[in-house]
Amino acid sequence: MLLETKGVCKYFGGLKAVDQVDFTMEQGKLKSIIGPNGAGKTTFFNLVSGLYKPTHGQVIFQGRDVSRASMNERSQLGITKTYQITSIFPRLSVFENVRLSAQSRVSMFNSWRKAYSYSAMNNRTMEILDHVGLADQQGRIASELSHGEKRYLEIGIALATEPTILLLDEPTAGMSPAETVEATHLIRKLSNELKLTIILIEHDISVVMGISDEVMVLHEGKKLAEDTPAKISANETVQNVYLGKEA
Amino acid sequence: MSAKQNTQEVTAYKPYSWQAILEFRAMWVLLALGLVLPFVISKPLATEIMIYALFALAFNLMLGHTGIISFGHAGYLGAGAYAGAMVVYYGGVGVWVSLLAAMAGGTVIAVLIGLLAVKRKGAYFAMISLAIAQMLYFLALSPFKRWTDGEDSLKLPPLSVDFPFHIDLSDQLSLYYFVFVIVALAVLVQWRILSSPFGHALKGIRENEDRIRACGFNITRIKFLSIVYSGLFSGLAGGLLAIYLGAASITILFWMTSGIVVMQTVLGGTHTFMGPFIGTAVFLYLRNAISNYTDRWEMWVGAMFMALILLFPEGIWGTVMQKIGERRRPSAS
Amino acid sequence: MPAPSYFEKEGVMELSWEIILMQVIMGLALGAIYVLLASGLSIIFGLLDVLNFAHGTFYMLGAYAMFTAISLCGNFWVGLVAAVVIVSLIGALFEMTLLKRLYGTDQIYPLLLCFGLGIFIPDIVKMIFGLIGKVVDYPSMLQGASFVGNLILPKYRIFLVVLMALVLLALYLFMKKTSIGMIIRAATRDRLMVNCLGINVSRVWTVGFMLGIGLAALAGAVAAPMVQTIPNMGDEMTVEAFVVVVIGGLGSLGGAALGGLILGQVVSFVSLLAPDWSNVSIFLTMALILVLRPRGLFGEEGRD
Repeated sequence: MLLETKGVCKYFGGLKAVDQVDFTMEQGKLKSIIGPNGAGKTTFFNLVSGLYKPTHGQVIFQGRDVSRASMNERSQLGITKTYQITSIFPRLSVFENVRLSAQSRVSMFNSWRKAYSYSAMNNRTMEILDHVGLADQQGRIASELSHGEKRYLEIGIALATEPTILLLDEPTAGMSPAETVEATHLIRKLSNELKLTIILIEHDISVVMGISDEVMVLHEGKKLAEDTPAKISANETVQNVYLGKEA
Repeated sequence: MSAKQNTQEVTAYKPYSWQAILEFRAMWVLLALGLVLPFVISKPLATEIMIYALFALAFNLMLGHTGIISFGHAGYLGAGAYAGAMVVYYGGVGVWVSLLAAMAGGTVIAVLIGLLAVKRKGAYFAMISLAIAQMLYFLALSPFKRWTDGEDSLKLPPLSVDFPFHIDLSDQLSLYYFVFVIVALAVLVQWRILSSPFGHALKGIRENEDRIRACGFNITRIKFLSIVYSGLFSGLAGGLLAIYLGAASITILFWMTSGIVVMQTVLGGTHTFMGPFIGTAVFLYLRNAISNYTDRWEMWVGAMFMALILLFPEGIWGTVMQKIGERRRPSAS
Repeated sequence: MPAPSYFEKEGVMELSWEIILMQVIMGLALGAIYVLLASGLSIIFGLLDVLNFAHGTFYMLGAYAMFTAISLCGNFWVGLVAAVVIVSLIGALFEMTLLKRLYGTDQIYPLLLCFGLGIFIPDIVKMIFGLIGKVVDYPSMLQGASFVGNLILPKYRIFLVVLMALVLLALYLFMKKTSIGMIIRAATRDRLMVNCLGINVSRVWTVGFMLGIGLAALAGAVAAPMVQTIPNMGDEMTVEAFVVVVIGGLGSLGGAALGGLILGQVVSFVSLLAPDWSNVSIFLTMALILVLRPRGLFGEEGRD
C-alpha cells in the first residue's frame, strides 16, 4: 500500500471536519474524493499534504508514519499538492515557474552555480511543459496566462517535484465545460503515461466518474462509501445524500 | 515515445527573460559610469554613493528579492562600521583585515536578528529588526561607551593599503577607486548569488511563500541565509563607510539609517536588481542639492517619498522596466 | 560567592519598601503612556493591516496640540480634549486622502507611506514651533504629591494610571457593546466578511484609524508635562510602541496593555539600578520574550 490513513480525524474546536477516515491508495491508481461542499474533502486532503496535522489517527506513506511531518518534508518524500485557488509564481516566466519547482529536488542553497546551468533540470522542465501543453508559452510571464493555462501551470509545478502521489484539489475549478473535459483527459493521460498515483478532489461528481479507478465519498467528515465509479453511482446511500441533493 | 523525443528537440528552452538580460546590461553600464563618476560630481559624494549603493543592494536582497521587510539595517551597517573601526583602533590591523572584520560584524548581527525573527512575517519582522537595531544604537551610546566613545565617534588615523600595491586612502581619488573596485566586485558577486539556485529560490519566496513551501523548499533556512548574506554585504559597506568617514560614528547606528536605505531602495525599484543602485545615486544627489538651499531637507524628502509611494511604487528603474514591458507586450503575443 | 550589590558599591542606602513602591508607581505611569500608545497601534494594525510607522509622530502632535490649546485657552482639561480631537482629525484626513489609496496593495506600501509621513511632519513642526522644547504645566489640581505614611504618591502619576484604566474600560465597552465597535472587531478577524455584510467599510476603516491615532495623541498629550516637548520626541516612541506590541502579541489589545505595563516596570527599575542600561533594557526584554514565546504573550497562531 502506497498511502494509508488509519482512523484519521481533524477537529477545529467542536467541529469534526474529518472524523475517523480510513483510506488506502495503491500505486499507479487514480482515486477521487467527492462530497458536497463542507464534507471535509479539502481538510482530509490537507491532512495528507501536511498542511494540517491530524487530531487523532495516522497518515502512513510507504510504510512510514508521516502524521507529524511538515508540508515541505512530505513534499520531499513525494507527496505534492496543487491548490484549489490557483497558486503560481505570478511575476516569473512559465519556464521558471516549473523549473523552480524542479529545483526543489536538486539544490536549495547553492549560491554560486548558475541556476540555468543544470541541463537535466532544464530538460525535465521542458518535458513537463510539453506534458501540460505549455511548451510554446515558456517565455511568458505567468500572470499573463489565461485562467485555463494557469490551472495547467499549477499542475506542471506540482509535477516538477517528481511526486509519488499527486494531490489535485479541484483542478477544474473555474473552467468552462469544454475546458473541464479537456483537463480531465489530461489528468487521466498523466496518470497513464507517467504511472502517477493521483488523488483528485471534486465537488462535481460528473468530472470524476469517467476517469477515476475508484471513488471515495465523504459526508459531514465521515467516509460514506469507497468503490468503483460504477458501483458508487449505483449506491443508494450516496444517491440520497449526494446525488439527491444535487438534482 | 519518439514523438516526445522530437518535441524536446524542437522546443529548446530560453530561460533568460528580457528583464534579466536588460538588468545584466544595465549593471555593466552603471559600473562603467562608476569609472568616470568622480569627474562628474564631487569625489566625496561619488564615494558615498558607491558605499550606500552597495548597502542598498544588500538591503534589497531581503526586501526586493526575498520579500522580507527589514527596518534594522542600520544595525548591520553600524556593526560593520564599528567592527571595522575597532580592529583598526584597538588592534592596529590593516585595511583588508578591517574589512573582513566589518563583514563578520554585519553577519553576526544578521544571525542574531535571523534567529529571533526569521519565522515572523511582514510587519512583525520589520518591528523586531528595528528594535534590535535600536538596541545596538543604545548599547554603543552608553553601556559600551568605554569602547565605542559613545557620541564622540571612534576616530581612525589616516589609512593606506600596501597590498597588492600601495594606495593612499587619504587621497580622495584613490579612496574613490579603492571603494569602487570593492563595490563593483560585491555587486558582481551579488548578481551571481541571485542567479544561483539559491537566488531563484528567494524569488520564489517573494512571489509565493506558501507555494514554494509546498514544492518542498525549506523556506526558514533559505530566508535565514538571505538575511545572513544581506548582513555580510551590509557589514562590508559599513567597513567602507568607516574608512570613508575616517570614523565609526553613532549616527550610522541610528534608525534613520535604516529608513534612508529603505527610501533609496524603493526610489530605485525594489523588484529590480540595479534599482537600489540608481535610487541611491538619485537620493544622495538630491539630498546634497536640497541641503544647499534649506535645512528642512527631511520635509522635502518625506513629501517626495510619500508621492513616490502613491504614484510610482515600482520606483524609477522599476517603472522604466514596466513601460518597456507594456510596449513589448503587443508585439510578443 | 554573593555578587556585590550595586548599592553597596555606590555607597547608597539600601532599597527601602518606600523606594520600591515609588518606583512601581513611576513604572505604572510610564506603562500607562505605553499602553495608550500601543493599543492605538494595535487597533490600526489589527483593523487595517497597516503598521503605522508614524505612530510616534501623532504622539508628538498630541503633545504640541496640547501645548497650543493650553496656551490659547489656559485650561488643561479643555486642552486635553482639544488635542485629542484635533490630532484625530489630522489622522482621519491622512487616512481619507492618502492612506486609503493603498489598501489592498502589498503590506509594505502603507507602511512606507506612514514612514514618509513620520519624516515629513516633524520637520513641519520644527518650522512652526522651532527646535526649542515647549513646556506644558501640570494642571493645578494634580500638582505635587499626597502622602500616605512615609509613602509619596505623585498625583499626576496616579492620575495617569487611573486614566489608563478608564480608557481601557471604555475601549472594552466600545468594542463589546457598540455596533461600530463590533464591526471593528469583526473586521479585525475577517475583513472580507464585513465587506460582504454590506457595511460601508471605508467609514469603518476611517473610524478605526481615528481611534488609533486618538489614543496616540492622548498618550502624547498626557505625557507632555512629564517630558520635554520637542519635534522628534515621537521617533523613539514609535519604536517603543512596536516593542510593546511585539511583547504583547500583534493585534491583541490585552497584549498591548500587559506589554505596556511590563515595559513600564522594566524601564522604571532599570533606570534606578543601572541607568546606562535603561534604553537597552526595553529591547532586551523584547528579545527575551521572543525567545520564550515567539508570538508574544497573547499572540495567536497564524497572526504573524
